[in-house]
Amino acid sequence: MAERLTRCRPLLGTFVEITGDEGAAIEAAFAAIERVHELMSAHQPDSDVSRINCFAHERAVQVHPWTAAVIERALYWSKQSGGAFDIVAAGAAAVDSGYLPRHSAQPKPECRSWTGLRVADCSVGIAAPGCIDIGGIAKGFAVDRAVDAMKAAGSQCGLVNAGGDIAGFGRQPWPVQVVEPATRQAVANVAVVNGAVATSSVQPDGSAPHLPMRSAGLRSATVCAPNATDADALTKVLLSGSPLAAICLELVEARAFVIDDSGSIAAIERQRRAA
Amino acid sequence: MSARTFFRLVPIVAIAAPAAVHATVYMSVEQAQQAMFPGEKLAPHFHQLQPAEIGAIRKASGASPLSKTVQAWKAQDGGWFMLDRVIGKHEFITYAVALNPDGAVKRVEILEYRETYGGEVRNAGWRQQFVGKKFGSTLQLGKDIKNISGATLSSRHITDGIRRLLATWQLLYRNG
Repeated sequence: MAERLTRCRPLLGTFVEITGDEGAAIEAAFAAIERVHELMSAHQPDSDVSRINCFAHERAVQVHPWTAAVIERALYWSKQSGGAFDIVAAGAAAVDSGYLPRHSAQPKPECRSWTGLRVADCSVGIAAPGCIDIGGIAKGFAVDRAVDAMKAAGSQCGLVNAGGDIAGFGRQPWPVQVVEPATRQAVANVAVVNGAVATSSVQPDGSAPHLPMRSAGLRSATVCAPNATDADALTKVLLSGSPLAAICLELVEARAFVIDDSGSIAAIERQRRAA
Repeated sequence: MSARTFFRLVPIVAIAAPAAVHATVYMSVEQAQQAMFPGEKLAPHFHQLQPAEIGAIRKASGASPLSKTVQAWKAQDGGWFMLDRVIGKHEFITYAVALNPDGAVKRVEILEYRETYGGEVRNAGWRQQFVGKKFGSTLQLGKDIKNISGATLSSRHITDGIRRLLATWQLLYRNG
């Protein structure tokens, strides 16, 4: 059996760790993540996301198919969660708070709802000056593209971890430890078998990055789903306390648990109707 | 019916294992040099920073050098390999930066990552609220799990470190 290699690079604002059995496949995976980083960084003025934030209220902005795919999936989860996941509301909140930069050509956000965002044929428009923050889903998307790249390069197994958004493939399960964000205490072990796990947590002050509102008394949410894009987005739906969270999980056969402010852990299950 | 009744929270119990202290060696210095400058010979150009140089680097980059010794190697193609360390809030990181001959960043690799948590892990009281069970897994796992979900780790210290290294390169190595 080939020797396992693990490499780590600072990308997507965090540390991306990739494990595989072949150096070339790991390189291809990092290249995919670097591509996502270039396309979707709100800090780089010429990225797809920055061009959307500057011009999408005036004219249709052409974007890379990957950027369009992320936005389409984000809008899907906005709809399914009743707006709990909202990259337009999150974008406005992020600019207001200074969490995301406002470029010189970028107008002050007026549009504050996902319903103002349109994407079709790799072309993006916003109904009014607005800003998107895809930080709540793009890391998971990058992880999925890295896994695709490893498979395309012929790898039999691999694991990609971008700051806690993890996807793995291969015959053997990959052990993943979920930690409690505040204390770094291990709270659960998860086996990743051709799937993904993502954990999102709130800041010490109770605010949650990439969420327009404060979290609903939860410290963190962990989702196991078939892919990292959905797992990543669903953690935000859970943190928002949306009553539709359990239904959203069922849509993609995901499972989840949350840690509340008191430190208690609870699995999310759909309420069964009394007979 | 309140919206809350659409889902319910089912209390689960978690594992009682201490958190794996994340400490990983990804590459040796030699491996990183080989990966970043394949087949090339690298000549060491180490330098002891003088107080005035430290001040100039701080002024140019906004970050103070952690070490007085600059560890830089020059490649045959004119590129540079620089080795550095940063200390974050909870981590200790050794990393390498490859520069093109013009000083542009070619590649960054993390060589070693070590978390400096420890005290909290031994907090038995906190742990006692959880009794040994796992979520979503029938796998029995040891303590040496390297893959962690739930770590919101910022690479900002690396970004600051690279800016400091670029200022150092400008000051010391730009003219060869």
